[in-house]
Amino acid sequence: MDTGSHLPKTGMIGELSETRYWIYLLLLPSLVIILLVIAYPTIYGMAISFREMRLTRPGLNGWVGFKHYLVMIDDPVFWVALKNTVLWVTFAVVLELGLGFIAATALNRNVPGTGIFAVLILVPYFLPNVVAGHMWALLLDPRLGVINDILVRIGILNSYKAWFADPNTALAATIFVEAWHGFPFFALLLLAGLKGIPQDLYKAAAVDGAGPIAEFRLITVPMLKSVIAAAVILRVISLVNSPDLLLILTGGGPGDATQVLSLYAFQTAYKDFNFGYASALSVVMFVILMVFAYAYIRLSKIGRE
Amino acid sequence: MAATRRSRRMAADILTYFVLVSMSLFCIGPIAWMFLTSLKLEADIVTQTMQYIPNRITFQNYVAIWTQSSFPVLIGNSFIVTLITVIVCLATGTLAAYAFSRYTFKGRNTLMLGYLVVRMFPAVMMIIPLYVVLRSVGLIDSRIGLALAYTSFLLPLFVWMLKGFFDAAPKELESAARIDGSTRFGAMLWIVIPLARNGLVASSIFVAIAAWNEFLFALMLTTGQGSRTWPVGLQLMVGEFQLPWGVLAAGGILSILPVMLMFALVQRVMVQGLTAGAIKG
Repeated sequence: MDTGSHLPKTGMIGELSETRYWIYLLLLPSLVIILLVIAYPTIYGMAISFREMRLTRPGLNGWVGFKHYLVMIDDPVFWVALKNTVLWVTFAVVLELGLGFIAATALNRNVPGTGIFAVLILVPYFLPNVVAGHMWALLLDPRLGVINDILVRIGILNSYKAWFADPNTALAATIFVEAWHGFPFFALLLLAGLKGIPQDLYKAAAVDGAGPIAEFRLITVPMLKSVIAAAVILRVISLVNSPDLLLILTGGGPGDATQVLSLYAFQTAYKDFNFGYASALSVVMFVILMVFAYAYIRLSKIGRE
Repeated sequence: MAATRRSRRMAADILTYFVLVSMSLFCIGPIAWMFLTSLKLEADIVTQTMQYIPNRITFQNYVAIWTQSSFPVLIGNSFIVTLITVIVCLATGTLAAYAFSRYTFKGRNTLMLGYLVVRMFPAVMMIIPLYVVLRSVGLIDSRIGLALAYTSFLLPLFVWMLKGFFDAAPKELESAARIDGSTRFGAMLWIVIPLARNGLVASSIFVAIAAWNEFLFALMLTTGQGSRTWPVGLQLMVGEFQLPWGVLAAGGILSILPVMLMFALVQRVMVQGLTAGAIKG
């Protein structure tokens, strides 16, 4: 087969690539890994939610049916965590989308120096949760926090505030940190979306005498719809699923003021080693997320393209 | 008319710079503050009046975290876990991304969607069974085990991102090589992969940063010095030893250095890849 080619010979794999099994050979390695580390654990994890499994008490074992799910209904922490999850995700996404949109619009004007600003604005997104968490804990510290100091100096606060220890401000403070960490993601996607809008549309609108507000409402928003929808769904998924930042900042406290479902499930597994209940919690979380994603995709019609 | 348009343009430019500068400050300011803190003596951090510019500069926090804790071991572990993750993704993901990019076959769209849906699984839902499975095969608290766990959510991302780069590589050269008598494998290896090398680098670095930063899986799946990565180590140090702020800040700065370096190296290509992959997803 290699006779006429100037490229180095590829031997047996080269021969194999000419058969009809080639595509499957290409896909096989990654499929094996995905089935091994994703599909199997997922199914197994769902099965655990119908079992008793506590590493601290190996004697307890066996199938318990819907026991964990029934316990959940009467578990007040579950309902608080569910409520907090909705609040945390909704406010974080709205804030991030807003900030991201402002950043993307400004970057899209391509004034000199945009490249440097784009890099600076993107940096928080790549900062590890652990570092971002402790960094903000320091910035908002009730005794040494520079933000408290600035707010007192300019007269907004009378005295330093313990943002993460006060049940009234804890959730808002963590949402703020999350927004800082996550808004560059929206900025990036929306910027790509803005760049994809043909300039002719704006020129045509200008000829028709449309002002900036009309242009925004009639061109920018409709053209960005699918990007916004995709960005929102990706972000919601990762916000619902990752308790990292809350784990570092508050650990769910004070009380259960910042307890969310993912964190509750993680702590049930990590602290109490109650794998059965933790699995049941994450299955419920997953089902809620799936229902939301399905409804959202249907409503925003991004599945249609 | 022209004058008002020009002045309006001017106002818009000023507003743009105002937004860009304040957003950049918002993004970089906290990190700059952490850096300043890492250079301060503990006595200057815990003071009555805030020191905005450090009176004295010291590197003892960096010396302390590097010599008086297990930080070098943690960094070493993180490095190895990251490396294994990237190698597994490169070896298997490149082939899959190529197949998705170049061939149409039955079940292609379903499979690609499947790769994406995988990312919707809650981390906790994966962590528990992975813990049980890895423990039963003796891979708990091992760097390979952790790296395998990482591929569960990074491999799909890698495939999607790289597919975008393969899509962008021109198909003509590949066809020419085929007409020239090259095998499919040869054309892929010697033509397409070199064409998409920027994409390979960018996707790998994206995966590397994610693996380097990962915290939750590592917290659950590592139990000892043998495989513990720096995010877990740092977090535990804060809890156990009441780590002084200056030392913690120094640890933070040291651990984000590789990320910032990689990011700076390929930010242009990566930004393109990230947007391409995410939008199509």
